[in-house]
Formats: sequence, C-alpha cells, structure tokens
Amino acid sequence: MSSYWIQAISFVAIFIALAGSLYLQSSIGGITNFGIVGFFGVAMYLYTIFVVTLAMPPLLALLAVVGIVFVVALVLGRVILNLGPQSILVATLAFATIIRHLATVLEGVTGAAKGIGTVKMPWDFEKTSDEKILFMVVLIVLAAIVLLYAAKIKKTPYGRLMLSIKDNEVLSESLGKATLNHKVIYFAFTCAIIGLFGALTAPIYTYIFPHFILADVTFVVWIALILGGRMSVWGAVVGIVATKFLFDFGIESALSAFQVRMGPAFGAMWPNIKLAVFGAMLIAIFMFRPNGIVSRKREGGQQ
Amino acid sequence: MSSGKVIHLKNVVKKYGGRTVCDIKDNVLGECGIEGLIGPNGAGKTTLINLISNKISLTEGQISFFKDDEEIDISKSSLGKLARIGLVRSNQIIQDFDSLTIMDSLLLSLAPSKQERFYKLFGDKKARKMAEEEIAWYLDFFHFNDPYGHADSAGEKKLLDVIRCMMLKPKYVLMDEPTAGLPEDQTQKAIELMKKKTQEEGMKILIVEHDLELIWGVCEKIHFMSEGKIMIKGTPEEIKCNEIVHKKYIGE
Repeated sequence: MSSYWIQAISFVAIFIALAGSLYLQSSIGGITNFGIVGFFGVAMYLYTIFVVTLAMPPLLALLAVVGIVFVVALVLGRVILNLGPQSILVATLAFATIIRHLATVLEGVTGAAKGIGTVKMPWDFEKTSDEKILFMVVLIVLAAIVLLYAAKIKKTPYGRLMLSIKDNEVLSESLGKATLNHKVIYFAFTCAIIGLFGALTAPIYTYIFPHFILADVTFVVWIALILGGRMSVWGAVVGIVATKFLFDFGIESALSAFQVRMGPAFGAMWPNIKLAVFGAMLIAIFMFRPNGIVSRKREGGQQ
Repeated sequence: MSSGKVIHLKNVVKKYGGRTVCDIKDNVLGECGIEGLIGPNGAGKTTLINLISNKISLTEGQISFFKDDEEIDISKSSLGKLARIGLVRSNQIIQDFDSLTIMDSLLLSLAPSKQERFYKLFGDKKARKMAEEEIAWYLDFFHFNDPYGHADSAGEKKLLDVIRCMMLKPKYVLMDEPTAGLPEDQTQKAIELMKKKTQEEGMKILIVEHDLELIWGVCEKIHFMSEGKIMIKGTPEEIKCNEIVHKKYIGE
C-alpha cells in the first residue's frame, strides 16, 4: 500500500471517529459542540509536547492527554452546559479560538508558526511503512470501537437518559434525573474521545503547526454529519466518506488513475472547483434529502 | 381519610412586578389521599403547582415537604431533587420525549441511577427484565395502540405522563389537569389508578381540574382558590354548597 493511501485511510479513520463523537454529543446528548477542533488541538499539542519536549513514553503521554482533555471539558461543561444551545455553540467555538490563539502566541511551548516536532510513531520497526500501516490499523480499530459504542448506546439505560435530556430536559429532570451532571460527564467523556484522536493525529503530521487546528476541522465534521444523516451513526461514516475522503483524496486519485492530466492553470483553480462541487452537493442533499443520506422515517416525528 | 400533612405552605407569595398572583398565608396539603384544587381561570392554581415544584421561584415564604417525620425546606429544590425525595408532577401541557418509544419512556422512568452510566453498555437486558412485570401491568391496565412504537395521539402522551409519574412511586403527586384530552374510558381508568395508588400504596395526590364532576367524585378534600388565595377548603359537599364558591366560580 502506498504511503499516500496509508495517510488517506488514517485521516479518514480519524475523521470518522470525530464525526462519531459529534454524533454522540449532538444526536444523542443534544450538545451543540462547535469547538471540536479545540479539544482536538489541545490534545494534539499536548501529546507533541509530552513526547517531544518532555520525552514521555507515547502510551503514558496518550493517557495523560486524554485525562487532561476530560478534565478541561468537565470544567468547561460545568460552566456552559446549563446555557441554551446557541450559547453552548458560541462558547465552544470561543474555546477553540482561544486554543488556536494560544498555539499561535506561546512560541516557547508550541513553536508557534515555526511548528513543533518531530513526532515519531509510537513504535519502532525496521521499515517506516510498517510502522505507519500498524498505526493505520490501530486508528481503524479505535474508530470502529467509537462507532460500535455510538450504535449500541441508544439501546442502554444511559442512552435513553441522554436522549430524554436532548428531547426535553425539564421533563427528564422531573423524573428525578440529575440532568446537568449527566450532561457534563457525557460532554467530558465524548470530548476525551475527540482528544484521543487529536493526540493520535500528531504522529501522522509529524510536525505540528497552528494552521492544523483551524475551525474548518469542526466545520468538515459538522457538514459530514448533517450530510450523512444525524439520526444514525452510520450517517457519520457516509458523511465523512462523501466529504473528507471524496474531496481530499478520492477525486484526485480517480483523476490520476484515469491519467487525466491537468494544466497548471487548471491545477491552480482546482481547490476552488472542489469547493464549488462540495457546495453544490450540499445544496442537493438539503433539497432532496434534508435529513441526510442515511435518514429514517421518524426524526422527532417528522420525515 | 388519611392523616398527616405532606406539604406546608407558609406565607407563600409570588409577585410579577407589582402584581401578586399567589398569596397563601398558611395551608397544608396531603392530609387526604386525593385532594382537589379548583378555582376560576387566573386564580393562581397552576402558579401554585409551579411554585411547589420550583418551576418558578417564590417571591416570599417557605414550602416544606414532610418525609418520614422529617421537615424538608423545598423552596429552592430543583425538579430533580424533588422527584428524588418523592414529590413529582404531571404536566398540564402535553410533554413527551420524541426520540423514545412508549416502552423506552417507561424504562426510563424505572431505570435505577446506578444503571445510567456511560460505561454501562451491557445492562439493558437486566434493566428490561427488572422492569418487565411493572411495565406489563401498566400496559395491561391502559390501552396503547403500539407500546413498542411512539405515542402518537395527545391522549397517549397524556397517559404516558401520568404513568411515568406513578412509576416513580412518589409520596406526593401534583397533577395539573391529568385527564384533559383523554377519552372517557381512559379517564375512568386514570381515576381508578389514582384511587388504587392512594388506597393501596399510601400515595397522595393533588388534582387541579376544571372537570367538577371528576373533582366531586374522587377528591376527599378540596381547596378552592381565587385571586391567588386559598379562600375555602373542605369536603366536596361543603364546597358544593359554599356561597363564595358559587359566586366566584360555579355560578348561581
């Protein structure tokens, strides 16, 4: 397998896990997190600092990062989760903006625009490609665990509780449920999942720059979930394949496979063409399948 | 007639700006199994229910809840805490969980909090088994078109609201128009359920209703409210014959 495809599949697995986490937060818990990249970025930088600057063992660094992200989300969640959905959206977006700003200005810690690295793979094989293949497999397995958890949770007492909070928090509280506490812990747990995959992105990038944690990471995940269908976790998978995979890797690979040669002028225009096609696809989905590609008959009583 | 009180209202006042919508100097609730709260529109009945359940906050005063001879000040307790100590309310306006089927909704009511943990992925079979008998009893008692589907009619949602409350096995239930919108046969079933719960399980219920036939038929004691005050309380016979009640509510 070529290095290009190993990287492509690794990124797709990471983004599927992010979309799965967003599905857990938004579709099961009713939490509008627009700061996904904040938790993702904190974890990516912390992991890099731990293994590069502090020379910590990768597994210990990973556990520490996930724990820190959990605590950060716990504190943030306690402050913002009793606010309305719009306020939560703005607060999480603000959190992500602060993280990116810190990554840009704390030059002594993050390297700022010069970046920080080099993050190696957590294992050392003779062939670099073997290291990357194993890492890709680990990412696929972890992403699959997230998806299975998301698929299974709906049919558990906890899933029913979180769905009840999403639908009608006051009614759920009137049944004796400690709704705010549950929301805060659930938010922290799902943000820790995002953090796990943020940390695991560092060895793929090897060198970390602030422009890796722009808001478009959040937007891609949200768009993928809406496009794929918010009411099923498989919508997250379909959405990522139809966005991240298709537009970042698929189209270019197909053109290359069919030996379609593009001139330099066309090559310069290509990113904008991709965006236009992406936009057109979104409009088509909203027009003809407003509940997403993977939609079911009932969504809050509506088709 | 049961003895003892469950709720004590002491100088309970609610004001919006300069307007007083509820002003109760001293009143106790829960001395009887089923009590009624009646009064004309705008009398402050729903406001009082909202104050007891802390959906809105008091301007002045204190509300106490009695549990096992212990007096608990519930003036600032959250809805969740109230439910956990045994005080629940059903809703006047239809409330439901759109994502949950009827069965899921009943399972939610019965779920013990230790089962509701994000890491417990495999407890559902056990939770269902534990709840099976009780849910089957309710589904046998009331009729739902499809218990494994969603509650589609307003009547089914209203019934579900009542059942969810009962399943919590509270000490005291506040019911704001519990039978509004229910068909006659289901209304009778709901009344039968309330009587059964008060007689067999010692539950106490306060019903807010405009259906006076229902009130005269099921309540042992009635509180008549007007202009934010409890004006009179007594047995259905006493209330029926009271001049003030006739003048302000029933009509001559």
